[in-house]
Amino acid sequence: MNRIPLRPLARILHARQVGENPDAIERENLRIRHEQMRDKARQRAEGRLLVMGVMFFCAFAVIGVRMGHLAGSEPMEPRAQAKGASIAAQRADIVDRKGRILATNMETHSLYAHPKQMIEPERAAKALAGIFPDLDEARLTKDFTGARKFVWVKKKISPEQKQAVHDIGEPGLLFGPREMRLYPNGKLASHILGGSGFGREGVHSAEVVGVAGVEKFFDDQLRDPTREGAPLQLSIDLTIQSAMERVLYGGMNLLNAKGAAAVLMDPYTGEIVAMASLPDFDPNDRPRPPVSGSPSDSPLFNRAVQGVYELGSTFKIFAVAQAMDLGLVNANTMIDIRGPLKWGKHRIRDFHYYGKELSTTKVLVKSSNIGTARLAKMVGATRQQEFLKSIGMFDPTSIEMVEARTGKPLLPQNWSELSAMTISYGHGISTTPMHLAAGYAAIANGGTFIKPTLLKQGSPQKGPRVMSAETAARARAMLRLVVSHEEGTASLAEVPGYAVGGKTGTADKPKENGGGYYEDKVIATFASMFPAHDPKYVLVVTLDEPEENTGGEARRTAGWTAVPVAAEIISRVAPLLGLRPDIEPVQLAGITLASQ
Amino acid sequence: MSYLEYTVKSVPSGLRKILYLNWPIVVLLTAVACIGFLMLYSVAGGSLSPWAEPQMKRFALGMTAMFIVALTPIWFWRNMSVVAYSISVLLLIFVEFFGAVGMGAQRWIDLGFMRLQPSELMKITLVMLLAAYYDWLPVNKTSRPLWVLVPVVFILMPTFLVLKQPDLGTALLLMIAGGLTMFLAGVHWAYFGAVIAAGIGGIAAVFESRGTDWQLLKDYQFRRIDTFLDPSSDPLGAGYHITQAKIAMGSGGWTGRGFMQGTQSRLNFLPEKHTDFIFNTLAEEFGFIGAFSLLALYVLIVVFCIASALQNRDRFSSLLTLGLALTFFLFFAVNMSMVMGLAPVVGVPLPLVSYGGSAMLVLLIAFGLIQSAHIHRPR
Repeated sequence: MNRIPLRPLARILHARQVGENPDAIERENLRIRHEQMRDKARQRAEGRLLVMGVMFFCAFAVIGVRMGHLAGSEPMEPRAQAKGASIAAQRADIVDRKGRILATNMETHSLYAHPKQMIEPERAAKALAGIFPDLDEARLTKDFTGARKFVWVKKKISPEQKQAVHDIGEPGLLFGPREMRLYPNGKLASHILGGSGFGREGVHSAEVVGVAGVEKFFDDQLRDPTREGAPLQLSIDLTIQSAMERVLYGGMNLLNAKGAAAVLMDPYTGEIVAMASLPDFDPNDRPRPPVSGSPSDSPLFNRAVQGVYELGSTFKIFAVAQAMDLGLVNANTMIDIRGPLKWGKHRIRDFHYYGKELSTTKVLVKSSNIGTARLAKMVGATRQQEFLKSIGMFDPTSIEMVEARTGKPLLPQNWSELSAMTISYGHGISTTPMHLAAGYAAIANGGTFIKPTLLKQGSPQKGPRVMSAETAARARAMLRLVVSHEEGTASLAEVPGYAVGGKTGTADKPKENGGGYYEDKVIATFASMFPAHDPKYVLVVTLDEPEENTGGEARRTAGWTAVPVAAEIISRVAPLLGLRPDIEPVQLAGITLASQ
Repeated sequence: MSYLEYTVKSVPSGLRKILYLNWPIVVLLTAVACIGFLMLYSVAGGSLSPWAEPQMKRFALGMTAMFIVALTPIWFWRNMSVVAYSISVLLLIFVEFFGAVGMGAQRWIDLGFMRLQPSELMKITLVMLLAAYYDWLPVNKTSRPLWVLVPVVFILMPTFLVLKQPDLGTALLLMIAGGLTMFLAGVHWAYFGAVIAAGIGGIAAVFESRGTDWQLLKDYQFRRIDTFLDPSSDPLGAGYHITQAKIAMGSGGWTGRGFMQGTQSRLNFLPEKHTDFIFNTLAEEFGFIGAFSLLALYVLIVVFCIASALQNRDRFSSLLTLGLALTFFLFFAVNMSMVMGLAPVVGVPLPLVSYGGSAMLVLLIAFGLIQSAHIHRPR
């Protein structure tokens, strides 16, 4: 701003010369300055006013437009736009491999009360207690007559109950729609499905969320609205699952086992056709996790994918197959089995005395610990680790269940020569039955490792090769001999018409508090494949603490427990799977197998 | 001494002042009030009692007060503004301790013949004080930080007291009206920019604080915000007002259902139908045309006020007129936005139409001040 000086010297001097009053100049300049300032303030004020005017105009415009918009709108009942109307029927169904429903949704109602709107709260409480015997009349009366504005009465009610409540005629009792997850097959496949519960709950809807199993694993996918409710198709076959569970349940009871697990897998596609863990539960009414005791004793515990056990001699085939694959031995190489085999303080013994030496085939057929340990010594700890890693024994299985992540194998911290020897016959390594099934599948499908999956696959999967096809074929022939040979440990697995090959495993259970093993508690396992010459399926059966008492002395070995159960499962399931019983190829003598 | 006082010789005196009243505003105010009477008559089911008749009496009382205020010279009011402001603050403090509790908040002093809400009075006296302050303050000091701080204290003191009652809506209105008056007085832009930025930060903090120990708002205030953001979330609870109000507007359509034919208000679906939500009754019975006409009347009143302020060369008068017009504008804009679901429900009445004594009286006194400024302007 150009300010005029209030006392310009030139003008004052000039005024003095002329004889005018020099003070007048100062006063005049002061007045001019004030006027300038006022004009400036005024200009600014008008600018501000303009801004304000624009704001006024905008506000008027918004209000006017809104008025027109509302005037033109259809009056709508609030209920129709209630949140949650859109949530309903969003969770997708789960179906089995043939499209049969495993999990679906059902529209039910919830019952709640607005006590402020109630006319006769006491009468309503009495009537409700009559309809729902589990409700306490005194408590309802207290809730309805107290200061509460909102009371949940029941989260889920049936249509009949709804009608009965409706007939009370109490305006303060209100219903909300509520989607409920329904498992129409009850306990069937309960561990696979897991279960669901309510997430966020509102009056008009409640969010259904998966809490376990595939329901939780695929929760996002099942709730994804962009999939438009396309059902999730599993690899499970409902019929097979049902038959397998029935037989397994019967076997578990007959053999006084406290738990059992079975996995039936397609070795080419990796599909799990059936998977069971007993005891089980009803996913429609999922029990709460136990607060005391071991979680592994709860029915919620999935022994097939969560339980890690020393699976014993079933592991021997891996040692034998690897030694053959490396060219260290062939099926007829004689192995020294003189025992006990000493390694430091440790002694490795056989269950029976089998003589001085046995062929590789016989080592497996008779299940000689000493013979397998000698093979493992030839292979060495490093190569053994690599092989077991390649068939997935080092990591939790990648099966699509949240529980699978907790089924991490227990491995020795220091993989010494001694560890290698004990691991070769299944001690010192703990895995889940699912791991074992995947390992056997690699032998069954000709030497490639396929990850097990619960989703239906269209075609055979490709996996990394872990052994040559010939080794796999020889291993299968040996596994067949374990069953068919009169001295084999799994001779009870002979199923007429279906050539079964497999290997038993009996492992003493470790004591929970550490410090050694139980004498009288075992985990009995039978890992098998059928038909043995061209396996279509792999079956692993595990029994927890079985005891067979018919023979006077209690028998616990897998040959007497897991094997007959597996044989029964195969005889029931194989026709359902579409396998025709056939006449076995000509029985070959064990000695000539190598030249086959 | 104000510019006005030394040019006083041109100002009309005695009863001649009546000729110099801003008559269009008087007519518009009466028109709006008549719409109010009609609506109160309608919501009472076609009866003068219990609302229309007392409202008419109050309007007559308010008009008398307006004329008395209008005929008093504006410089008297300027000199009284500090006193008026002080009295309002004292009354606010008084209600804090002795006030009657209504609807969960301490807001009223019972005077016997009417209930006085000091927070209503505060809306005028705050604008008066600010106008007087900027009239007194040399223009070149307007934006000096210290001289900006003084009016900020003037605004925040009553705001805080009102917030304690608690009445969030009125507190916000006081802050906005005070701030805009400062804006019109020419305080530098940067101050407002800073305040707006801080406000946005504050709102973020309020939402962050929800559910924590240092929660800044009461639960019901959070619920109102929730309801505003999604009224259908709880149509029977907190969202009830808004949902029913919108139904009323929709059912009115363009031409309305006809006088005394509104079902939403008649059947008691509409809450607070004679006070805060009376606009919906109007919209239901007279439709968009009726509602828009009322809006147009309000707009005209504001426009006449602004025109009067522009004619007025006295700084106090023009600032006062603008500030009061602004407060009036905020009243109806916030009320209309609220009942149409554009703003949260904050309990602001529709000026001159909603049933209520002190609001109408105070508003007419405010227009008395505007008229006084108009009559006594330097010519």
